[in-house]
Amino acid sequence: MVIEFYLNNEKKKIDIDASARLLDVLRENFGLTSVKEGCGEGECGACVVLVNGRAMNTCMIPVASIMGKSIVTMEGYKHTDRYKAIETGFMEAGSVQCGFCTPGFVMATESLLNQNPNPTDDEIKEGLSGNLCRCTGYNMIIQGVRLAIEKGAGLW
Amino acid sequence: MKENISKSILRVDSRKKINGEAKYISDWKFDNVLYAKTIRSTVAKAKILSITLPEIPAGYYIVDKNEVPGINRMQTVVSDHPVFAENDVQYIGQPILLVVGPDREIIYSIVAKIEIQYKEQEALFTLEEAEKKSTVFTDYHYRKGEPETVFQQSGQLIEDEFTTGYQEHVYLEPQGIAAEFKEDTLFVYGSMQCPFYVKNALLDTMDLPEDKIRVVQTITGGAFGGKEEFPSLTACHVAIAAHKTRHPIMMIYDRSEDILCSTKRHPSKIRYKVAFDKNNQVLALDVDVLLNAGAYNGLSPAVLQRAIFAAGGVYNIPHINVRGRNFMTNAVPSGAYRGFGAPQTIFGIEMLFYNIAVKLGVDPLEYKMRHLLKKNDPTSTGGQIREEVKLPEIIKKVIEKSDYYNKLKTNKKYQGIGISLFLHGCGFTGKGESVINGKITLEKNKDIVTLKVSSVEMGQGAETALRKIVAQTLKIPIENVIYGEVDTGLVPDSGPTVASRTTMIVGGLLRETAMEMKTRWNETEQFEISKRYEHPKYLHWDDDNFSGDAYPVYSWGANVAEVEIDPVSYEITIKNIEAVYDVGVPIDNRALKGQMQGGIAQGIGWATIEVMESENGKLKQSNLTDYKVPTSMDIPEIHCSFVLNPYEFGPFGAKCAGELPSVGVPPAVAEAVANALNKTINHLPITPEKLMEIDNGN
Amino acid sequence: MVEAFRPQNLIEALYILSENECTIIAGGTDLMVQRARGFALKPDFVFPLLFIEHLSELKQIYNNSNEIHIGACVILTDIMQNEIIPEIFKEMIGKMASPPTRNMATIGGNLCNASPAGDTLPYLYAVNAKAILQNANGVRTVPIEEFITGVKKTCLQKNEILTDIIIPDKKFDVNIYKRLGQRKGMSLTKVSLLGLADISKNRIRDIRIALGSIAPTIVRSSDIERKMINKSLDEIKQISYEISNQYDKLIKPIDDARSTAKYRKKVSLNLIKHFLENL
Repeated sequence: MVIEFYLNNEKKKIDIDASARLLDVLRENFGLTSVKEGCGEGECGACVVLVNGRAMNTCMIPVASIMGKSIVTMEGYKHTDRYKAIETGFMEAGSVQCGFCTPGFVMATESLLNQNPNPTDDEIKEGLSGNLCRCTGYNMIIQGVRLAIEKGAGLW
Repeated sequence: MKENISKSILRVDSRKKINGEAKYISDWKFDNVLYAKTIRSTVAKAKILSITLPEIPAGYYIVDKNEVPGINRMQTVVSDHPVFAENDVQYIGQPILLVVGPDREIIYSIVAKIEIQYKEQEALFTLEEAEKKSTVFTDYHYRKGEPETVFQQSGQLIEDEFTTGYQEHVYLEPQGIAAEFKEDTLFVYGSMQCPFYVKNALLDTMDLPEDKIRVVQTITGGAFGGKEEFPSLTACHVAIAAHKTRHPIMMIYDRSEDILCSTKRHPSKIRYKVAFDKNNQVLALDVDVLLNAGAYNGLSPAVLQRAIFAAGGVYNIPHINVRGRNFMTNAVPSGAYRGFGAPQTIFGIEMLFYNIAVKLGVDPLEYKMRHLLKKNDPTSTGGQIREEVKLPEIIKKVIEKSDYYNKLKTNKKYQGIGISLFLHGCGFTGKGESVINGKITLEKNKDIVTLKVSSVEMGQGAETALRKIVAQTLKIPIENVIYGEVDTGLVPDSGPTVASRTTMIVGGLLRETAMEMKTRWNETEQFEISKRYEHPKYLHWDDDNFSGDAYPVYSWGANVAEVEIDPVSYEITIKNIEAVYDVGVPIDNRALKGQMQGGIAQGIGWATIEVMESENGKLKQSNLTDYKVPTSMDIPEIHCSFVLNPYEFGPFGAKCAGELPSVGVPPAVAEAVANALNKTINHLPITPEKLMEIDNGN
Repeated sequence: MVEAFRPQNLIEALYILSENECTIIAGGTDLMVQRARGFALKPDFVFPLLFIEHLSELKQIYNNSNEIHIGACVILTDIMQNEIIPEIFKEMIGKMASPPTRNMATIGGNLCNASPAGDTLPYLYAVNAKAILQNANGVRTVPIEEFITGVKKTCLQKNEILTDIIIPDKKFDVNIYKRLGQRKGMSLTKVSLLGLADISKNRIRDIRIALGSIAPTIVRSSDIERKMINKSLDEIKQISYEISNQYDKLIKPIDDARSTAKYRKKVSLNLIKHFLENL
């Protein structure tokens, strides 16, 4: 099936099996390796990207579903001011250890703040509950989101 | 002005990890690469009668035991695991052969057509069955004092028993490895903790000269022990495939394959017999530690050693008799997991002391404090505690910060508070560090210094910590200290990245070397210094009788956990964790807190929600839908603080840290639950299902 | 390569279904995982795929003569954000899966997957929701408990699409939802209870109890509920144990990787009692 969509704000067209996982299409066909496979069952959030601005697990998306939609991965998102705020927040709070889950957490943070620019701690925890981190115990990730909100005041 | 080593700096590797530029092995590309998929045993114990292969298309290969150039055994402590199964299989998931080729879909269709005929044999699944049938791999024993005499003379005895379950590492990056030959040199790349373990395993299996094997660690997405010995096996697989096909080979596990066949924390059973003196003080302890090693012994003897050496916890017990056994079962092999056997025995001893105190009707913490080890006391293996034991200060701090006694009094039913006291031996057990004999190199080139070690960054912050130690010693900016690529062809063997040894042992060597470099700084523009670890002469260890100093020094801690239990559903909510540690001197406050919080989260998981059970050798929880690790909603705010206690041989006074939090928190949680329900907790994980039975008196 | 259809509208979709046996795919969150094969591999589908998530006919939420129509392909997040949806239903959906999954999963998918742990189902059973099914020839309306016929089984014919779910536009005085999983964050439900009630002058006027994950389908008993109508809250408290016991034989849980039958049974009875004692 020919799929047309926007990838990091560029129009793309690809002829591909409609059932292929968006995860594999992004990694294999477009070389976007910030998108990670941690579980392949929607449990870990390492493969989360933004689809029309919302965080989604790409391991659960058949590529035909993204027809006409806008996909943003870290490769595109990292050039934004919002990203810079999250990057600074995560670096200063110690949100990163092994890093495999981190791009997914950044995407989940963007999606959360996009819907709720001033979340409470419980809302942050809920908003990030689709992303697993085995290194940090989450405290410093939540703190990173807090710092990002502070650094990026007005951006969301 | 003197710089404070503990003052936090930004992690050196965080930006590339946040923005997604960091390349893990699954992100690597090789020209003409072939992918490998493992065919595994689907039965727990059997003779392989026949393997029927479909027609294999051109460009696709089968790689099995017949292709092994050297020895078909994975080298580790006990090299008993076949690289590929020979005539029999011993567990579900055991590797038999690889299907290798350029298209994953075609590999999959070949895999689907392979037929293996087994003659199934009676298998052995549980620790109970294994004990009954005495399938003992390793049987260790040590004693101190005259426990037999004390037990014979003692009238009043208490017996108790504790059990713990599996734990899966769930490093977010599943196992991944690649191999290629460049001319006649084998390169192996992958996610791993111990590049030289992998190299040594390849030396056995590939029958290549030492200078023809290079192992390169790639950015590693978490490990926690799960990438200690296991990558040696997968490395052999891809190396053999590369040898046969002369193509680069990649093998990336998905999560369910990873859970099916990778090592896990040993399920355990620990039995205690206690004799008391006339003041109800513990006089003698008899400890029987049973670990389920799975189908092959592998690294398990080393795990068992740490387990039994921690059997006495932080207590000075005059007479102690400890037996430890690894049992063979037809289950996936158990292996290294953060804490390495100590979480099991520390859970046992802490709950034992709690249970005794409750039985005696005395305050558990007070009872524990009556037995604390202090400086110059003998350890349970008859070594010596050489450092100041700051437990009294640690305990004071943790009970103040958590308001422990007030809460103990005012808690309502279903609210509980618990406290654990614990220690962790730093670095390898016994003579381990002298056997490893770690070596490091510092290379100066004008104002740039490269540190060369085989210790890896796997998330724990080794790169930042080790660069910081060198930079602060040389008083140069951290940007001027480069962490050399971890490639066994380029770096000396500073030892594996395990046993909480990297900062203390490797960092200590780097510090010492950097100090020498500083005095010689202006000698020439370019020079290098290498140093090898020397075990302090005053330490004695008898490996045959397990007597002497099992560890050069210990880190210590106390945790308070607060829980609430829903009386309707028995759901456990952890409200607060207060943790105080003595790890010598923190090398970086924030990085260390991150380590502690993460280790606590894993400990909470193991103690409460991480259920993994095997039914007839098959894991019931085989993916992340069924095996649950904590999410952001399951972990409370974790408060950590540190008591300074510089260790003279550690860099800037640092001791071990990484495993300590996972060792310490489970008994604090268990005590809190026991306290909330006024019941005994003798098993981990404590699930609502178990609590319901306990509360109903079953 | 699996054959796939991506129709422009519902009529085209129904036509395709009348000609082909298809696997209908909406959000994909259940199917893609159930059919997954492994690292970097396409999922394994047997029948041609019919993609319907984009069809605007299936994405509406509207109020029509005291009934709320929810299109089968409305995303869970959008239900949570829609103001005409009853609060308790939003609360329940907010506890489903995780934010990324809720951004993809559809309510229709949750019905058609027909899992005993389907978390929209207790509500739909409690309020007597109806499912609208269409094929190329027409429409039929089926009560929810007839739509779901067993574990992973529905009455959907091969040529039919679930197009709408209809719930009454009604709020209850008491709304209690308790969901237990293996952990607090995203997890499949081990046991759940939804309790709804209308109370006036201290007497029960309407009461609904629906339990999830403890039998092949959602457990609800109009018979038992009826016995509580017009009883005072004090009377209910007195007979709460007896009532919870009447549910005992309806609750037929299993042992699985996530919990035990024994726990599920006992806790569902506890939850019923707890609900009745705290009206």
